[in-house]
Amino acid sequence: MGENMKPSTVKIKQMPSRFKHQVPKYKITRSNDCINCGTCAKTCPYGVHERPEGHNKVNPPIDYKCIGFECQSKEFCCITQCPRKALSLSLNPMYETLGDPRWTADMITGTWIMAETGYPPERTDLEYNVGNSGGGFDKLRFKFPANPPKVDKSEISTAIELNRRNDGRAPVVISTPVYGGGMSFGSVSLPTMVSKAHNAAIWNTFTCTGEGGYPDILKPYDDHVITQVATGLFGVREETIQRVKIIEFKYAQGAKPGLGGHLLGEKNTEHVAKMREAVKGTSLFSPFPFHSVYSIEDHKKHIDWIKQMNPIALVSVKVSTPNDVDMVAVGSYYAGAHIIHIDGGYGGTGAAPDIAKKNIAMPIEYAITKVHNFLKAEGARDVVTLIASGGIRTAHDLAKAICLGADGVVIGTAELVSLECVRCGNCESGRGCSRGIASTDSELADLFNEKWATQRLTNMYNAWNYQLVEILQKFGMKSVKELVGRTDLLEHIDYSK
Amino acid sequence: MPKKYHIHPKVTPLEMEYLYKFKITRGENCINCGRCTKVCIYEAHKRRKGDRRKMADPNTVVCRNCFRCIQECPRGALEKSLHQDFVNISGSHWKADMFLTLFKQAEDGKVPVTGAGYRGPFTGEGFDSMWTDMSEIVRPTRDGIHGREYISTGVELGRKHNHLAFDAEGRLLTQPHPTVDIPIPILFDIPPVQLSPNVMLALIKAASEISTCVILPAADIKPEMETYRANIIPFITEGEIDKYVDILKNARLVAIDYYDALPDKLAAIKERIKNISNAVTIIRVPAISGIEGMVSKLVNSGAEVIHIVADYRGQEINKDKEANFKPRLIKDIIRSVHLNLVEERIRDEITLIFSGGIAMAEHVPKSMLCGGDLTAIDIPLFIALGARLYEEPEKLLLLPDGLEKLSVDIITQRMVNLMCAWHSQILEMMGAMGIREARRLRGETGRAIFFEEIDQETFGKLFKQ
Repeated sequence: MGENMKPSTVKIKQMPSRFKHQVPKYKITRSNDCINCGTCAKTCPYGVHERPEGHNKVNPPIDYKCIGFECQSKEFCCITQCPRKALSLSLNPMYETLGDPRWTADMITGTWIMAETGYPPERTDLEYNVGNSGGGFDKLRFKFPANPPKVDKSEISTAIELNRRNDGRAPVVISTPVYGGGMSFGSVSLPTMVSKAHNAAIWNTFTCTGEGGYPDILKPYDDHVITQVATGLFGVREETIQRVKIIEFKYAQGAKPGLGGHLLGEKNTEHVAKMREAVKGTSLFSPFPFHSVYSIEDHKKHIDWIKQMNPIALVSVKVSTPNDVDMVAVGSYYAGAHIIHIDGGYGGTGAAPDIAKKNIAMPIEYAITKVHNFLKAEGARDVVTLIASGGIRTAHDLAKAICLGADGVVIGTAELVSLECVRCGNCESGRGCSRGIASTDSELADLFNEKWATQRLTNMYNAWNYQLVEILQKFGMKSVKELVGRTDLLEHIDYSK
Repeated sequence: MPKKYHIHPKVTPLEMEYLYKFKITRGENCINCGRCTKVCIYEAHKRRKGDRRKMADPNTVVCRNCFRCIQECPRGALEKSLHQDFVNISGSHWKADMFLTLFKQAEDGKVPVTGAGYRGPFTGEGFDSMWTDMSEIVRPTRDGIHGREYISTGVELGRKHNHLAFDAEGRLLTQPHPTVDIPIPILFDIPPVQLSPNVMLALIKAASEISTCVILPAADIKPEMETYRANIIPFITEGEIDKYVDILKNARLVAIDYYDALPDKLAAIKERIKNISNAVTIIRVPAISGIEGMVSKLVNSGAEVIHIVADYRGQEINKDKEANFKPRLIKDIIRSVHLNLVEERIRDEITLIFSGGIAMAEHVPKSMLCGGDLTAIDIPLFIALGARLYEEPEKLLLLPDGLEKLSVDIITQRMVNLMCAWHSQILEMMGAMGIREARRLRGETGRAIFFEEIDQETFGKLFKQ
């Protein structure tokens, strides 16, 4: 595989699932006609069938290893090879219980494969690039030219600058136009948080603390951590502002715009409480909005305050996507922000009212276009960095978001899926995440270690980067920066007929 | 500051099996190792009570779809699928997930909260094709969840003056019309099925508890309901006015069935009711084609409140049984009726109630943004009690067996819980919008984002050839 210019710290290594079984897409049924001859075990190269040494019987098929219907054209296919025709193949009903229209089972499976191998799946039976939501990114396709200029992958850069103001502050460049979203300590486990930061360092990009304070264990990654200042100001101190290169003001979160954050008392363990300087077991609210900000002028005061405290850091402003998001973005630019981060309504969360996730504020696809055009009309587009989040699920979503006008994206759910999140949605209740990703329960938070998680994340970032480079190559581009705002390279499956 | 409005929830489980989403089956190759009992944090897997050597059947009710048991079973002996019952109940409007969430809200009265982002389709039909706005930084009216105490969901039913009139000396000539205030923009509509006496009483008590009203056919109003007369809206035809004088005497609101000649006789009808009581009159009109004209005629004839009723899926009613009838959806009917009255400059004079297909809390503020003053609901109150609704092959609403034996208090509390959860959800949406008065939601499309408009504005402009 041709490689592009990625950081030398990125090392790809197979990192298999923590679990014995994967969620199978197919189901192999063995009928009573089977004579246990073992032909299937000999012929299947994927290990679906096993007959252990000295056993008379063939084991029940291991469904998840099966590559499905495309196998039927191969000479080693168990179904055609079985002398008794005792085997049959169907879709596994279990697969319907995984995923949803936004994150389909194929997309989750595809992301797992990326996290395991570091590359997009070789299987051709998974539609892992687009979801089934019937709108937004899922209706957009790339229009690749027939004869693009020849570009070698080694010439393609996916790096972007985050400081475009030329104001003497840190010239921060990230190597891939993706960074990790804020997930507070308390909402995710420590291994999750540390592996996100470690991966950010490996990929020369960033991760964000979220609003739960800055655990000391993140200190080695200071240059790749964004300190979030949110409305509850939990764990925000002078030293956590001073040690980083980017400080993010979180005004709102796409999943629950206008509602503020809420850490349930059950998840506020002794550790979490200490970090947040709060009392263990109490519910912690981050109110909405900043009670000291009722205008852009107030907002500017906040930004100035941060800039005073840390003379080199960049300031990012994270807002959600109301009708007037374009005005807010321009206001933030005039207030001095380097990065405008817009978080769409379908974005992720550790806990939010269902009614808010579905209904409040617009999906990110519209907001990117709106903000990009408004900043352009204002003559400010070239001096701010526009980052989109909230519903960026795949490398294709990433490239589409950039075509619509973003410089880069922030992801959250995709990172968690790499750590084998199944999106069951129970992050918030009781002991929290049964898969140990979003839990501070001592037993559950121990289900994987940081090394495993870091490699999975590094692999997934690599697969995305690999796909992005491929897309750029097909467009004949040498830099991802050429892709920004190129809506002419997209088509819409309803409108573009 | 008006008195704060609270609905008091109380956890009230029902001793019955309702729908569940998942089914887990244990294959014959299970070796009873017990790994599943260790990995499941929801206790779906346990050993058999009598024989500890064997595993019990999985308890799927508690399954939260985490896949731990599936993935960790050393033999791959566990299989999971969607429960057939769950798949079967899903209709085009009443989706399977709605039954589960309404049932749960009736149990605890809480706002449904989950982790991870939204999982549904990008957009959908009717109310699913709109989002509500929020306000980001400015607008000092807003205070998020901490300001919710000061958000009023109250609405007023009755006729309003278009303007005030004064005499030559500047004295006010205009007399205000009588109105009825309710603290939540939801009425309980006529029950869609025959109810046993305990359920009927609970429905009325629940309406009373949350200070709203229930619309009941006058024939169903019994003397023992007298205590709750302020919360009952008798529904009659014009011809029945004299027959139900006793009931009308004590009513705050009365609902009258619409027929074609009614607008011309409205003044006389109102007069006859005025002679009996001070009740404000609601005209109940089916949502049929041409509803816009019917409504404006009613407004011009002096109607006070008009209740427009779509079918149970929120669709326009096919009055003339047209063969290729393409029903409009309630969202579009509301917008059209509202805008028509705005054009005619008479919108402010009338109160509009809309009902039919109101299935979730979000439908209430959304129908108000489209132009309604308030809504009326029916089916969700019975889903709260474990009712099932099938749309195909034809509408079938089934109340659970044994409901007639359930205590009035339990049934009442479940309906109250559901309304408590809805009220809190309405507050969430209003809080995000920065709107403190439900009355100001009406027709406030500036705080709504309509799919067809924004999609056209962005993608249509970019990609249409």
